[in-house]
Amino acid sequence: MFSVFRISILSIVVSALFATSSLAHKINVFAYAETGQVKTESYFADGRPVKQSRVMVYDSNDNLLLEGKTDDEGLFSFAIPKVDDLKVVVREILGHRNSFILKKSEIVASKVTEKGNN
Amino acid sequence: MKKTFLAVFILLLYAPFACAHFAAVIPSDDIVTKDESRNIQLDVKFVHPLEMHYMEMARPAQFGVLHRGKKTDLLGTLKQSQGKAPDQEGGFMTWTTDYKIKRPGDYTFYVEPAPYWEPAEDLFIIHYTKVCVNALGLQAGWDGPIGLETEIIPLTRPYGLWSGNMFSGQVLLKGKPAPYVEIEVEYLNESTGNPAIVKAPSDPYVTQVVKSDANGVFHYAMPRAGWWGFSALSEADRTIKKGGIEKHIEIGAVYWVRTVDMK
Repeated sequence: MFSVFRISILSIVVSALFATSSLAHKINVFAYAETGQVKTESYFADGRPVKQSRVMVYDSNDNLLLEGKTDDEGLFSFAIPKVDDLKVVVREILGHRNSFILKKSEIVASKVTEKGNN
Repeated sequence: MKKTFLAVFILLLYAPFACAHFAAVIPSDDIVTKDESRNIQLDVKFVHPLEMHYMEMARPAQFGVLHRGKKTDLLGTLKQSQGKAPDQEGGFMTWTTDYKIKRPGDYTFYVEPAPYWEPAEDLFIIHYTKVCVNALGLQAGWDGPIGLETEIIPLTRPYGLWSGNMFSGQVLLKGKPAPYVEIEVEYLNESTGNPAIVKAPSDPYVTQVVKSDANGVFHYAMPRAGWWGFSALSEADRTIKKGGIEKHIEIGAVYWVRTVDMK
């Protein structure tokens, strides 16, 4: 009974520790379209990059279009896979995740700018 | 001798009633999140913040934004507008612009107004004014200097503040800390969401005063939700000629922050 009690206390303490670190390590994702590419940036609030973390890109029907990894500067770019609302999901090693929706209108607008610059 | 004494006496009479002038740059949103519109509006004006009176603001000499170390000139985007207090007649010139946030980070908007002639004090006033808008979760850049003749560098992150929080800043004059200068502090009664107009029980409550320390640093705890202006005043080492006479210039380093009630 005593060991069950100790395990319970330990679980609570460990969970509490994780909860605190989750808030402090919240990750942010941002994406924009430029010159035929989608450019993504993943960062902590203080500007430190979210490095070597998994990136998944979905269309508006939640179909997985592609996967990748952020580099040491928290960046990951890819050619525009589809002219649609794109959901960019980043998941870092401790499990913290966040997502960003790049609107179809922004992708369309970037293509118009690209044409205008040619 | 008698004439001099009378002139000084009259000037002293004016001093307590010279209400505090504040140039202001107020954004429609100071924390832009990914789920909100990224188009913000900025209002640029010259006011008595607590008493809500407006004064004419001519087209500024400089208006821009600092983001991720890069300054962008926005003077050409300013559109003329007007504002007034409920008890004022006629509108007073103000300026407004729309700005689209494109990337994460801190955006420090700044204005250098044209010199304002204040006859009651027989001098010109130039208030170099700054405000910070945080965008898309990246909290970096809020403490970067613009390089103005005088400016306040925030030592408290200037957004995400609760009423009751302390705001600390360092006053710079020509890039160097300005010790023992007076900073006037005033609440903007026009703040969106202000539930009731604050009435000062007596004059000292309209504009409060703190002084910077030997390192140019000051602190102030903000007791109410809304916009707070901090104006650190110095005298310029140059003059402007008016009517053939060289007139002094009061230069102000002004910073605006917003507080929210903790619920």
